[in-house]
Amino acid sequence: MSKILITGMGIVSAIGNNVQETLLSLQEKRSGIAALHYLQTSHTEFPVGEVKMSNGEMKKMLDISDNVPTTRTALMGMLAVREALCHSGFDAQLFEKQGVDPFLRVTGKRVALISGTTVGGMDKSEQFYLDFLENDTHNAYISTHDCGACTEMIADYFGIFSQVDTISTACSSAANAILLGAELLKSGRADIVVAGGAECITKFHLNGFNTLMILDKKPCRPFDTTRAGLNLGEGAAYVVMQREDSTQTKSLAVLSGYANTCDAFHQTASSPNGEGAYSAMKSALENANLQPQDIDYINAHGTGTQNNDASEGVAIVRLFGSKIPPVSSTKAFTGHTTSAAGGVEAVISILVLQHDFIPENLNFSEKIAALPFIPYVGAKKISPLRHILSNSFGFGGNDTSLIFSKA
Amino acid sequence: MSEIYINSIKQISAQKPLTDEWFDAPVRYSENYVRAIDPDFRQYFAPNVARRFGKILKRALVVSQKALEESDVTNPDAIITGTGLGCIENTELFLDKLVREGEELLNPTQFMQSTHNTISSLIAIEAKCHSYNTTYAHKGISFECALQDALLQLQSGGIKTALVGAHDEMTPAYFTLLQKAGFLGQANQTFAGETAVAMMLTNQKTEKSLCKIENVEKFYGNVETWRAASLQVSDIDYIMLGTNGVAETDRIYYENCQKLFPDIPLLQYKNIFGESYTAPAFGVYAAALCLKNGKIPDFLEQRAKLVPPKRESEEQRQNAVRKILCYNQLENKNHTFVCLTSKNLTPKK
Repeated sequence: MSKILITGMGIVSAIGNNVQETLLSLQEKRSGIAALHYLQTSHTEFPVGEVKMSNGEMKKMLDISDNVPTTRTALMGMLAVREALCHSGFDAQLFEKQGVDPFLRVTGKRVALISGTTVGGMDKSEQFYLDFLENDTHNAYISTHDCGACTEMIADYFGIFSQVDTISTACSSAANAILLGAELLKSGRADIVVAGGAECITKFHLNGFNTLMILDKKPCRPFDTTRAGLNLGEGAAYVVMQREDSTQTKSLAVLSGYANTCDAFHQTASSPNGEGAYSAMKSALENANLQPQDIDYINAHGTGTQNNDASEGVAIVRLFGSKIPPVSSTKAFTGHTTSAAGGVEAVISILVLQHDFIPENLNFSEKIAALPFIPYVGAKKISPLRHILSNSFGFGGNDTSLIFSKA
Repeated sequence: MSEIYINSIKQISAQKPLTDEWFDAPVRYSENYVRAIDPDFRQYFAPNVARRFGKILKRALVVSQKALEESDVTNPDAIITGTGLGCIENTELFLDKLVREGEELLNPTQFMQSTHNTISSLIAIEAKCHSYNTTYAHKGISFECALQDALLQLQSGGIKTALVGAHDEMTPAYFTLLQKAGFLGQANQTFAGETAVAMMLTNQKTEKSLCKIENVEKFYGNVETWRAASLQVSDIDYIMLGTNGVAETDRIYYENCQKLFPDIPLLQYKNIFGESYTAPAFGVYAAALCLKNGKIPDFLEQRAKLVPPKRESEEQRQNAVRKILCYNQLENKNHTFVCLTSKNLTPKK
């Protein structure tokens, strides 16, 4: 079976508006978590990981006129997809000049966009909901509400996609998008896949997580015994994927394994024995034909909630025993970017492979008593990294693990 | 590549729930918005559970359980759901309170039940099923996204059984919104309906198998560009269309059919099951039942567009329902094709 290569990537998050800024923030240990600035909400007590751009600024960067109805999620998605495509050799200048897609025009290849999102266009729906019901002033935003609309706004900005899919499995959405991308490539139904996810912070999400009492009023502390919840983040991140036998493009990394399983325990809580997490990681290893000791770093889901970190920690111990590789959560950098998290952390994992460093698990001070390990805090010398396991776990126990390997 | 069969399909819709009786005696409607006819949920849930779950969840759990039972599968290798809008009733309740009453005193249960993947994950929790579980939410092709994922994995041999669902509820408020947006309740349009369909796909033919599923193709953009390279279907007996009575929509269907598959008799299903984002699941269901029963009920035929099948011998006339292509399109931008064949049809050598 031909390998699945990652040939491009793009990212927008609280720690940078592109891949380069993201890398610098990670290496220089600069968190993007801060007081609320862009979202209008009464819950100003919660720090968040906002993308440091207004919708207007993003529209300007994308050359989209101010009066075109669009959503924050779609705008972030367009920026990240554009960077990923350019990274992969997509000729943006030719595209802009001629309005045609160089991929298709030259090669006739099938290009799929697979995007994960959960609340789609909720940022506009919550702003204009009463208008929808009571007058006709913002009807254009009724059609931007659903998840699929977000994917199509991104697809239509580029005009190169022959297939679109939208996955909505909460916080594992983008990871499942990457998984489906691999399946589409292997089956020959697509030649190039752009997969990832996008999600902006909304009042709906902030309040929803608040009703579940899992938001921390301080910066989140994944895998710390004092952890008290997550910080909501936002962002978009996509990778370009191709089969090794169908591309000459230089690859950044290999997607060597993946698995999707279900915890099937509770609608919003993870099981105490981490069954779903354990079987996702184990099946991903089997899919990659690797052993636990081959994994050099685990980019954990690590949201900073009591429940997730305990459950994920137990699952890691069950699978890796006494030989646990360095583990860190990057959510103290980016916040929990929910549906985008699998994409954001895929890009981070690939950067880690390219530059042989491990992002520090920020804000850690005290070990969780029930776990035999502490997260990576920068002490250990890092040898070249070969394989990385990246976890994304969603509400409802939608657990997905991806394994990225050095190109 | 393995042959894949649909071994059971269960539905809750504007037709009588959990039966195929509509095939002989459909309920007809003249309203522009019809809620589904629910079965007696007390038979399936304890009162406290029934109160906690929204309509879409109860329907999904019941049709899934029935589809599993009928196909004698207890623990499917995959649970894959398509839903255009997800749990819109709970989303609306949470959003309405948030917008009208502010950001305090909101209800966590409504938030928990607002996410699209609640459906698939709740089915897994009820069935204690730890296998592959995912949810597609892409407008009017959500069901076909789910179906294609299942087919990919079944054909590659990665899994042997998949429970594929199509679920959408429609609230009065959201109906009004989508009427404004032009998707529902337009002049001459078939009624806005609700969808709860669960089907079991397996790689084993059984006595209960309804039909074989040959292929699921999805195209975005100009369908003709992609069709030549990717969509190879021949010997189609009927095309099942998602026509809904809106002149402009139907014109696109008829024109594309004439270009892609000229002179093949056309069928419909939305006159019986209504319009919703996951209505195409009813198209597949209706086609599967036609293949199983070896006949087409009158009300599914598009009379004005009916082209008589070119059959010659008596034997061919008796076996005239062998291959049905289901074609669904949205705004001439999303196009999906699901090819179903009679379970006894042997592929040409």
